Amino acid sequence: MTVDPNAATQDFPSPPSAPARPGGGASRYLVPALVACAVAIGLGAYGKVHDPAGTAFNLAGFSSTGAVKSWLATVSFGFALVQLVSALMMYGKLPGPSWSGVLHRWSGRVAFLVAVPVAVHCLYALGYQTYDPRVLWHSVLGCFFFGVFSAKMLLLRSERLPGWLLPIVGGLVFTALTVVWLTSALWFFRTFGVTT
Amino acid sequence: MKRSGPLLTLLGGLLLALVMLSLNATTGTRSTSSSTTNEPPPASASPSPSPTKASPSPSPTPTPPPNADYAGRTDDDSAAIAVSLRDGKAVAYFCDGRDKESWLKGDVEDDGGMKLTSKDGAELNGTIEGGSIRGTVDIGGQEYGFTADKAVKPSGLYRATANVRGAEVDGGWILLQDGRQVGILKRDGTPSPAPEIDPETGAVTVDGQRLTARPVTP
Repeated sequence: MTVDPNAATQDFPSPPSAPARPGGGASRYLVPALVACAVAIGLGAYGKVHDPAGTAFNLAGFSSTGAVKSWLATVSFGFALVQLVSALMMYGKLPGPSWSGVLHRWSGRVAFLVAVPVAVHCLYALGYQTYDPRVLWHSVLGCFFFGVFSAKMLLLRSERLPGWLLPIVGGLVFTALTVVWLTSALWFFRTFGVTT
Repeated sequence: MKRSGPLLTLLGGLLLALVMLSLNATTGTRSTSSSTTNEPPPASASPSPSPTKASPSPSPTPTPPPNADYAGRTDDDSAAIAVSLRDGKAVAYFCDGRDKESWLKGDVEDDGGMKLTSKDGAELNGTIEGGSIRGTVDIGGQEYGFTADKAVKPSGLYRATANVRGAEVDGGWILLQDGRQVGILKRDGTPSPAPEIDPETGAVTVDGQRLTARPVTP
């Protein structure tokens, strides 16, 4: 028995059934978009309204929370580069192993989970600040990153998205994280030297 | 069937964030060992001393004015003043950024009035009105009027003391709300303009040695 590799693996939409659920198509995009807005605005509002504590707990072995955050952010950014490469492999733009999808999923999870403590510290101890362009961009894009990441995760749950959508959203996630890293960890290392 | 992996990732991140927030809220500045390191937390390396997190819930009864930091300039714009208030006590710093400075301490009355004094005989009289402190400082036979508005980190009052190459170094900084810094660094008691500190980390380099300026609390 031969198997058509391009055969649809999910229930194929029969034309009459599609109009039966009006709005079902739009909500696939609307829900992630709304969640993204809610997350980004929620984080920004928390950072703005909450009185910055100026301090939070530190990890052993590091001289300052700035150093801890910079290294965590750098680890996250490193995995984000893996994300970019493994995504190109999944889309066949680069030769890659069969497990590039697994690599993409798990490097993404690690990158996200490593970035969370950094964001918690930023929002808890420093807040949403606008006192110079670097800080403003960092604040804006930091909130944007978690919003668009949420959207990406929710979009992954939908079937039959337009082919260009995930690469665009994924690219936004990657770009946001890159700028957030450039405006924080790279700045930190350039200002204070590469310290722990 | 919908994929649940992405959703679990999101929930995992949310859970992690909540755990860290509750750790922050409950432990304050205590260092937590990560799973990879087991060495004891370096006593001098944590970023800020714990006093910055004083009583988190202001009680409703008429008690001392709420904990806050204030920063501003004298009326003649020649010097900066910062006041840090914690639990009815206050510490203030008067600094012109060149050679005149004074650290003042004292109690804050329930009505928001305060009279702070320094070892060298300077005196600050002020009152909290709304979101600012208005008052006068008498220092070196001169009286300066001032207004200091509520300051949110990173603006506020910072100090660093250390021994750098045999000299006692004592630096004080006022970070104003507009991002400007006014500071004096004394080497064995001789004042000079202070190098700028990093507003986020308090890091400053003095004579080639890196110090950390910490928020000042009474």
